[in-house]
Amino acid sequence: MRSHRHAAHGEEETGIDLAPMLDFVLNLLIFFIITTSFVREAGVTVARPEADTAFHAESGNILIAIRPNGEVWMDRRQVDLREVRPLIERLHIERPEDTVVVIADKAAKSGLLAQVMDEVKLGGIKEVAIGAGSTGGQ
Amino acid sequence: MRLRRHFDHGDSTGIDLAPMLDFVLNLLIFFIITAVFVKELGLPVARHGGGASGPATGKEAGSISVVVKQGGEVLVDNRLVDVRAVRANVERLHAQKPDWGVMVTAEHDAETGLLVQVIDQVRQGGVENVSFGTSSE
Repeated sequence: MRSHRHAAHGEEETGIDLAPMLDFVLNLLIFFIITTSFVREAGVTVARPEADTAFHAESGNILIAIRPNGEVWMDRRQVDLREVRPLIERLHIERPEDTVVVIADKAAKSGLLAQVMDEVKLGGIKEVAIGAGSTGGQ
Repeated sequence: MRLRRHFDHGDSTGIDLAPMLDFVLNLLIFFIITAVFVKELGLPVARHGGGASGPATGKEAGSISVVVKQGGEVLVDNRLVDVRAVRANVERLHAQKPDWGVMVTAEHDAETGLLVQVIDQVRQGGVENVSFGTSSE
């Protein structure tokens, strides 16, 4: 505002023109609004298994982690296996396009992984992927 | 630029853009901070059978059966094979039956690391239609 006044009253056109900057900032803003995705992090780190054919899950942004000792983590806290279904149901209502990635530790039991995937499907989200790290080979 | 010219001639009767600019900058900073560009890597798999009803012996109509035992053994079509040989075996069976999917059945206590390796091998073998289940034992 001050620079504007300055330009209007004093020497003509010596102030900084803010309009291009505003355009640029607005473009940046729109970019970040569009690309932002509020990922529901699991809250723990697990030693994920490696796979060559793993690819980026499309909008996979609800993460469920399974630790080697059988703990299930979701939304930054430890949950019981029976809690997974109502939590998924609630998240599915909030954002129906979300998909789930179940990140199981290398040493976790397959049975528990299957149970968690079942709970997620019962909760209404059909798109479930098993989390994996890339080997970096391909 | 045009807007600016308008301001100069109209002598400050136009809309003041500065508060809007402040607001937009705040919004921008918020979105920059909250932006997460990390995309999870994952293997998409279907799920077949429940825990109890899962076909432990494999051989559902039209699918290649891969069984992961809890001791680390892998059986492709009821033959014991090495993990690294799963790909070759699946490729061979897939060539014989191109329309069949692969059903990976893991025992309850089998390690996920091995399971993912097996699914990875199957996908490398050219089969995208992978389903996963557990046997009741």
